[in-house]
Amino acid sequence: MKKFLLILSIITLTISCADASKKTDKTASENETTTENSTEKPLIALADFDSKAGKWVNKEVQVKGIVDHVCKHGGKKLLLVNDLGDVHVESEERFDDAMIGSEITLTGVVTEFRVDESYCLQEEENHQQNHKDGTDSDDMYAKKMEQVQFFRDSMKATGKDHISYYSLDYVAHQVDKATEATVE
Amino acid sequence: MKTLRKWSRILHRDIGYFFIGTTLIYAISGIALNHMNDWNPNYTVEVDEFQTDISLVKNDQIKNNIKLVLAEVAPKATYKKHYYPQNNLIKIFLKGGSSVVVNTNSGNGRAEFLKKRVVFYQSNFLHYNPHKWWMWFSDAFAGALILFAVTSFFMVKGKKGMRGRGGIYTAFGFLVPLLFLWYLL
Repeated sequence: MKKFLLILSIITLTISCADASKKTDKTASENETTTENSTEKPLIALADFDSKAGKWVNKEVQVKGIVDHVCKHGGKKLLLVNDLGDVHVESEERFDDAMIGSEITLTGVVTEFRVDESYCLQEEENHQQNHKDGTDSDDMYAKKMEQVQFFRDSMKATGKDHISYYSLDYVAHQVDKATEATVE
Repeated sequence: MKTLRKWSRILHRDIGYFFIGTTLIYAISGIALNHMNDWNPNYTVEVDEFQTDISLVKNDQIKNNIKLVLAEVAPKATYKKHYYPQNNLIKIFLKGGSSVVVNTNSGNGRAEFLKKRVVFYQSNFLHYNPHKWWMWFSDAFAGALILFAVTSFFMVKGKKGMRGRGGIYTAFGFLVPLLFLWYLL
């Protein structure tokens, strides 16, 4: 019995000493408020996000929308939507899937993903290799190659050497509770 | 050596008892999450397809009409929000992650009712490190697993120990991941 108590004490001590700090770790879903001055962050309408986000790359902006989806693979991505547009948001912490269907105002840092010819060539090579290895079926291969062609056609149509896709890196959010559950 | 064997058994046994619950949590959620592409490890999904004559076109009456539709297809559900992903589609979010999508032209609808899987939902929740304190506790559990591996070297002597059958099993145990690495890398 003495040995058992000794072992239990060691375990308890190990766990309790692991973090003496009082600071608690918050998940993305708990970071519901931000104390920073919101006036410095522009509120971009989802309908305008794709056209305006380019001016705010690597800067914080705010968007407002409904959480349509939280990625079930890890829960670190969500899709914010409204009638006129959408934006993908990524976080280092997991989102609480209870957020689905809530209207939120979200603060995030705009990130840009560029698709250009070198990306298309790399994608083509990957798809061909996967098809050759049997990882992708004929149908899957055809769809992926169509996607690459879509990128090329889009670049040609716009006369640019790249296409920019914008998303947000999550910083904080606030649930708009006033607009919820208005149908009893 | 005798003392080492004795303490190896004590630590292996008693810390093992302590972490039985945690072992089950990680084992259950590990299997559940390994097969995430084949099923939803957190929720059961019940799909109900229906037809409605109630107009869900965007207008001033929409919230009242949503209420009428929900009374028909999901009387126990609580409305959260709605939006129009396309001109002729409305998506209605319900509390708990469930949702209803209706084609506003045809009235064809599809309701997806989510229900948390008991044990799996809670195990998966913990598996994803929901809090810093749990992270430290799970680190302690991982440390205990290393301890179990190390103490197993000294627990049994003779032909059933590491110099006999135990050693052969251990070698095979190392061989399996090595073969995967050789094949996959």
